[in-house]
Amino acid sequence: MVINILNGLVYGGLLYILAVGLVLIFGLRRVVNFAHGSLFMVGGYVAFTVAAYSSFWVALPVSIVVLALLGVILDRFVFRPLQHEDPISTVLVTFGLLLVLEDVVKTIWGKDFLSLAAPPLLSGTVSIVGETFPVYRLMVIVVAVLVAAGLSLWLRFSRIGLYVRASSVDPVTTGMQGVDTDRVSAAVVAIGAGLAGLSGTIAAPLMALSPSMGSFILIDSFIVVVVGGLGSFSGAFIAALLIGQVHNFGIVYIPWAASLIPFLLMVAVLIWRPTGLAGGRA
Amino acid sequence: MTDIVAGAPTRPRRMGFLFALLAIGAAGCTLPAVVQSPLFLTLMTQAAINAVLATGVGFLVRQNGTVSFGHAAFFGLSAYATALLIKFGLPAEAAIILAVALPTLFALALGVVIVRITGVAFSMLTLAVAQAFHELVLKWRELANGDDGMAIAFPARVFGIDMATFQQPASMFLVCWVALIAVILGLWLLCRSRFGTLTLAIRENEERARYIGYRTVLPRAIIYAVSAAIAALAGLLFALYNGFVSPGTLHWSLSGEALIMAIIGGPRLVWGPALGGVIFFFIKNAAGDFTDHWPAVIGITLILVTVLLPRGVGGVLVWLGARLGGRRPS
Amino acid sequence: MTGSAWAIEGTALTRRFGGFAALDNVSIAVPQGEIRGLIGPNGAGKSTLMDVLSGRAQSWSGQVTMDGRDISALGAVERRRAGLARSFQRTNIFPDLTIDEQIRLAAATAERDNSDEVMAELGLADLAHRRAADVSYGDQRRLDLALALVGRPRVLLLDEPAAGLSMQESMVLARILRDLAGRWGVTVLLVEHDMEVIFSICSRVTVLHLGKILADGTPDEIRRIPEVITAYLGSTVE
Repeated sequence: MVINILNGLVYGGLLYILAVGLVLIFGLRRVVNFAHGSLFMVGGYVAFTVAAYSSFWVALPVSIVVLALLGVILDRFVFRPLQHEDPISTVLVTFGLLLVLEDVVKTIWGKDFLSLAAPPLLSGTVSIVGETFPVYRLMVIVVAVLVAAGLSLWLRFSRIGLYVRASSVDPVTTGMQGVDTDRVSAAVVAIGAGLAGLSGTIAAPLMALSPSMGSFILIDSFIVVVVGGLGSFSGAFIAALLIGQVHNFGIVYIPWAASLIPFLLMVAVLIWRPTGLAGGRA
Repeated sequence: MTDIVAGAPTRPRRMGFLFALLAIGAAGCTLPAVVQSPLFLTLMTQAAINAVLATGVGFLVRQNGTVSFGHAAFFGLSAYATALLIKFGLPAEAAIILAVALPTLFALALGVVIVRITGVAFSMLTLAVAQAFHELVLKWRELANGDDGMAIAFPARVFGIDMATFQQPASMFLVCWVALIAVILGLWLLCRSRFGTLTLAIRENEERARYIGYRTVLPRAIIYAVSAAIAALAGLLFALYNGFVSPGTLHWSLSGEALIMAIIGGPRLVWGPALGGVIFFFIKNAAGDFTDHWPAVIGITLILVTVLLPRGVGGVLVWLGARLGGRRPS
Repeated sequence: MTGSAWAIEGTALTRRFGGFAALDNVSIAVPQGEIRGLIGPNGAGKSTLMDVLSGRAQSWSGQVTMDGRDISALGAVERRRAGLARSFQRTNIFPDLTIDEQIRLAAATAERDNSDEVMAELGLADLAHRRAADVSYGDQRRLDLALALVGRPRVLLLDEPAAGLSMQESMVLARILRDLAGRWGVTVLLVEHDMEVIFSICSRVTVLHLGKILADGTPDEIRRIPEVITAYLGSTVE
């Protein structure tokens, strides 16, 4: 039971790191990056290749940096040129990118499943209430907690962070405050994409790499963001924990229908609160 | 000037539309007699099926102002329902009717929940729903053979019609073409009705619609269900034609294809997406060498069309027509 | 009619946003056929009161009745169907529908369709087949009023119907409103910044201040209250 809850936390942690990137970008640009799952996937593959020539510990930062750079490019050539258009234009373009990236990955790395081993340092297990649990999985939970803590400090105390928080509540007035929006946006999208890289890298030893790995996690992270209340950081945190648990519950007890459970939970939450758990801002 | 969703849907008023539609419909019916290339007819049959799907997706954009990234769900559910209901022993006729009815009812129930969410969040949810079903058929191998897909055990005759009618391009093209024209005609009539005006009003200003005394969730859910029913019809035609169904029918690249067709053609026009469907299939034919990278071709096309041609070819045609006719294009 | 003389009555209406009471135990009652003015500075609670009465506000306490019937539990749609219509501060119409289409749509929820009459009275008949987005601002404001008036609601809540109109246009609108309300027996609660409009057509005026009722009386009485003159009327009354 405890092990199940821990496994739920692992998946919830991955989801949170991914979803919070979506929330960051939404807060600033009012658009949703449909290619976010693909960034997660690319992160995993980049880490796989780098680790093949060095080690996991090199692959982790490299993957984050590569993805952050991708984020800057994404901001410069997609989000910024389309910022005055209907948000759905950006969504359509990022959806197009999703299809392209999936194909690019398929072409470079092939369709077969690849696996990235956990670093030796973390490959052991620990004993928790009489059952064994991989150290690596504990590390994933720790990383998610650190990201959550780091982000909330950053949002509270840094200049850009304050701006992002203000903007996610009221983009109009924030836009008038003479901050260099383009720089803020590049930074925010870079952080969001970097987090997707982080998430993809630490997920790689947990799941087989495949060109479709971005798909299901994108869906779950969308559910997290909508259930949490679009644009809400705390909502995303709670929803990620919740979806992590129900997802894991589904995998363990009803594997054939596991994909439907987060979806049913989402429907239930939306019937109860149409604007999500944090409500109001959707 | 990107206004895929914003901006006024073109209002079908004039009877000229009706005659033009029927004329094009009749002309299309002569196609199998004029062109005998089976390859071309195969392509046109697929184009007509996808045009039906695109018409459903586009109608949702036009009438509710929301973009679905998950209409493959209704397409695929319909195809799977046909296959599974026949497998479970239902008569093919009943399976065919239920294959459209069940996804439509599902969409109505789902719609009551999700149409209250608008804009980008709605798009996210539709994608999530479709992908949940995609995962379901992949994982639940006992039900539908997962990735391998399943053949549909159609009897020799359905509704007294020889099954071969549905599986040969020349005759199936006619079936699909008539279905497409009928769908467009039906939507055109719906748009002219009071319900059409009401849903357009809700799309434009939901709050005010409530203050003139209308509940707004159910009408939006009904539009969603109508649009899903059209996608389900397309899925049924696909199932009849191919006699086979695979998880690809639920995949998001199919939802993406439908969106591209709708946008190429111009979703603000009832007939735009169907036009887009035909144009798209000629692009697809031309891109034949890249079929291994088909999703990427779809992706790039989607990006280009969104950025360069937000009003769609249909929108450009209407605009040109208005210019030539001396009226002020709106 | 269950014995109440009030067409619309709000009792002990309170609405809080956090610790701030936008509406603090306000009671207001308007008899049938009266045009009641509602004035007060920005933030006094006028729009909040409209929202509570029309069913737009989500959380509030108190009771709203129409002709003695408790409608507190009804949503906006049911209240409109019960004969309570409202307009909004900013122009709130359907820009892509024609004027004719939207007025008929609004009329269809009422017992009788008086679209043609309303369009004629408000000078919209000649514009009936134009898209609402294509007509002038003044026409749009009258369309907004028409959407609320059509179907002859028993109670009409108007939130600054003359906002943005020239003085002349405002007075024309006021005159039309007074005529129609009188002829059709519509009870009106009118929020308006233009004191000329208020004093020319209202038989009584209620003054709101910081979520409470400060004064209530005939236009002449209100005009004479010193606080009202200094605080709210200022230079608008010479």
